[in-house]
Amino acid sequence: MTVMRDTVVNSLAKLRIQSDENGLVPEYEVLVNLLPVSLLNTFSEKILKAAPPEKKEQVEAGLVRAAYECGYHTGCGVITSDIFNEVVIPMVTDGEVDILRGAYAAFTAWGWAKAGIVQIKEGEKMVVRAFDYYEADGGGDGLRAYMLRGLSQAFFDLAYADPYPDGMDTFVCHQTKGIELGDSYGEFVVTRK
Amino acid sequence: MSLKLDFTLDNQTFRHYLNGHPVVMHSHHYLALITKLVEEMPDLGGTQILKDSVEESMRAIFDDYIVKNNLTSAQDKCNVGREYFSVFGLGKMIVSGNDNGGEVRLVHSHIDEGWVKKWGNHDKPINHFACGYIAAMFGAAFDKPLNTYAVTEAASIAVGDPENKFIVKIA
Repeated sequence: MTVMRDTVVNSLAKLRIQSDENGLVPEYEVLVNLLPVSLLNTFSEKILKAAPPEKKEQVEAGLVRAAYECGYHTGCGVITSDIFNEVVIPMVTDGEVDILRGAYAAFTAWGWAKAGIVQIKEGEKMVVRAFDYYEADGGGDGLRAYMLRGLSQAFFDLAYADPYPDGMDTFVCHQTKGIELGDSYGEFVVTRK
Repeated sequence: MSLKLDFTLDNQTFRHYLNGHPVVMHSHHYLALITKLVEEMPDLGGTQILKDSVEESMRAIFDDYIVKNNLTSAQDKCNVGREYFSVFGLGKMIVSGNDNGGEVRLVHSHIDEGWVKKWGNHDKPINHFACGYIAAMFGAAFDKPLNTYAVTEAASIAVGDPENKFIVKIA
């Protein structure tokens, strides 16, 4: 048996995060937050709009970096969590590829993007397609899925780079298509840095 | 008052909604790095952009809740922001004041405690996010337009204080 995506998505999508008596959500070895998508998109668009052409790359890199480190640390907490062990691990028969499939099912279930792996060469390259993601709603110019870029790079680092926490920045992700540009899906290619 | 929470899921896109507004989960690493990003861009007015983005976005959510639930008193309207703060996992807030301003304390703060977990203490307050959030909360409570209130951070968990303190004044 390999990871059955729909089973994982449907199981994990029902989970609700709930804050404790301190208004915090300590889960997956991090402090979790739940933020309005409108805020995240508004911030990205405002800071990109404020940046002169020579600074745009630096701002975009900062947005990707925030998603990457969030994805790397939180992703490690997710794939070692009780819920992941309970729902995904019993279906894993294909090593890291199945872990990644499970991670993208979680990715979809928790509303980051309706995304999955369409091509993978273990430890070398991965192509991901996303058919819905909130960053496509941002309204700016050009490819805008900084979150998906950062998270895809993080997941591949977790699967194929040195063991956590020593494997950071081994791979890099580029966006090649985007719903925000009129494509029918967003496409993300992860390769060695 | 206790905030009513209606969590829903779009079964086609798997987007999650809270009281009709799309929401998504991230961690303290994300907000710590966004905070650092704006701190490193003073020439772009980075911290003000973050404050404005938070005020604008949160205000729409507070106003929507206030209208849908027919809230009329300033206390009830203010509680919407205070209680949402904890629902979003951002910490625990104690609020005092009136339409001329006031004081807000954070006895727990996701952003400050997250910053300290990631990098240790900082040499100056960093919670620009909460400044925008509090401006939105006071604006919604007292029916004032955006940018009515100026919020400054007077004490900070990130710096080593036991709690955050924000001073709210008419801008």
